[in-house]
Amino acid sequence: MDYLTAPIVVAIIAGVLAAAISIVDKIVNNYGEVNISINKGKKILTLNGGDTLLSSLASKEIFIPSACGGRGSCGACKCQVISDVGAYLPTEIPYLDKEEMGKNIRLSCQVKVKSDIDILIPEDLFNVKKFNSRVISIRDVTHDIKELVFDLQGEEITFQAGRYVQLVVPPYDKIKGTTQRAYSMSSKPGDKNVIEVLIRLVPGGIATTWVHTHLKEGMEVELIGPFGDFERSETDAAMVCVAGGSGMAPFKSILYDMFENGDIDREVWYFFGARTTKDVLYLKEMMDLDAKWENFHFIPALSEPEEGSGWTGETGMITDVLDNYLKTKIDTDKAREGYLCGSPGMIAACNKVMTANNIPLDKIYYDNFA
Amino acid sequence: MKMTPAMKKAQENMAPGIIIAEGFLGEENKSIKDMMVRDESEMSKAGLTFDKVGERLSYLMEEGRKGLGEPVTVDKKWLVRVIDPRGKLPCPFEDGIFRKLSAEIELKSSGEKILVTDLSIHLLKQHHFIEGEGSRFRMEPEIIKRVLFA
Repeated sequence: MDYLTAPIVVAIIAGVLAAAISIVDKIVNNYGEVNISINKGKKILTLNGGDTLLSSLASKEIFIPSACGGRGSCGACKCQVISDVGAYLPTEIPYLDKEEMGKNIRLSCQVKVKSDIDILIPEDLFNVKKFNSRVISIRDVTHDIKELVFDLQGEEITFQAGRYVQLVVPPYDKIKGTTQRAYSMSSKPGDKNVIEVLIRLVPGGIATTWVHTHLKEGMEVELIGPFGDFERSETDAAMVCVAGGSGMAPFKSILYDMFENGDIDREVWYFFGARTTKDVLYLKEMMDLDAKWENFHFIPALSEPEEGSGWTGETGMITDVLDNYLKTKIDTDKAREGYLCGSPGMIAACNKVMTANNIPLDKIYYDNFA
Repeated sequence: MKMTPAMKKAQENMAPGIIIAEGFLGEENKSIKDMMVRDESEMSKAGLTFDKVGERLSYLMEEGRKGLGEPVTVDKKWLVRVIDPRGKLPCPFEDGIFRKLSAEIELKSSGEKILVTDLSIHLLKQHHFIEGEGSRFRMEPEIIKRVLFA
């Protein structure tokens, strides 16, 4: 029986160690009940401590925007913390500038709630809801962009045109956890029972691959929103809008909202960049709107139109076309505002062109989530 | 083959869910040192150097960025679409932080494509690591040769 002694002793030691680790974990990581005070006590949440601020708030239906779902790789979930939660973590520093650090802005996915904490968040976030939606339509609007319509199953969403929602992608294939990605709503605010988004396939992208290859009509999908502050201003300045690809989404929402609500006196110029004719979406719809709405001008431009496509519109990079119109066609005596939807690179390039043409940077609006 | 502490740490960081959901190792259970030795040999067999490949990829990424999210034809040979989402990723070797830029590079004459990121170009150039077999961003030397040096 001697041969059994060693394994039994090892098993007993391992068991004792496991129990000790479990007890220590419960003692060390048991922070008990803590309070999160939001906006100087306007809302107080009581919950068990130990989780991240992002997850703790979400467990109480307060949703901070996060493009990566809490993995610390997008830097979107910034939140002002006005109580002491310790030093900045190395994972936060790349996403914060000096000014933000001076205001104690933190990444809510990295800060752990270990004791009572005071935070400031935009009031709009109190209106953010989680929707258990059902896909009622999936349609190809180009070879790599799908239009998706989700029914909110009895719930309603209230939002300003230009806002976005986060789509929660469940685990699939090799992807073990859930993933969240932000998509602008292309539906109109008046359509309260549905949400429409446009999703372009990103090669290798976790969320877009799921949407393009796994998502089917009839499936249930979690959506969280509305988020963002991208919207048309309440001035009468000419709107100069620029987008490409699925960046069409917020403008489709804004333009139809304006047209259907009779907000048609304002001058609107909409520049849409694509490579070839097969990359342009809603061409007919936008041309129809242009024909019906005197002050709306739709300017699609192709950077590499196919030979024989019969394209008679503008050609070249959208920034060059924009520059030309700002200099020669869009009334320079009137106030002008910029509206952009695209990648950080596209936004930077358009900012450069617009500011060079006397549109002040603080009159150029965009959602910087891409 | 013996791994340095820095390599061990890098291998931990490459596991799924640490930096990116799927990790960098693909289906492989080997040490990254063994993978790097094997892939250096594969690159050499294909007649490629890491510097030369890195230089070409950086050039195509830079040219592709001029498309502002739309595909652009580069040197009449490649169609490059660079995606520029929000966010950054740290290198698993902990020597830098990179924007989440990714590029799909298509050789127009054959239609064959490769997928690279800012981080995968850094991993190739600085660490001679081209990701494990089965990883969606692995750069197979033979495919690199066909697409980049045809």
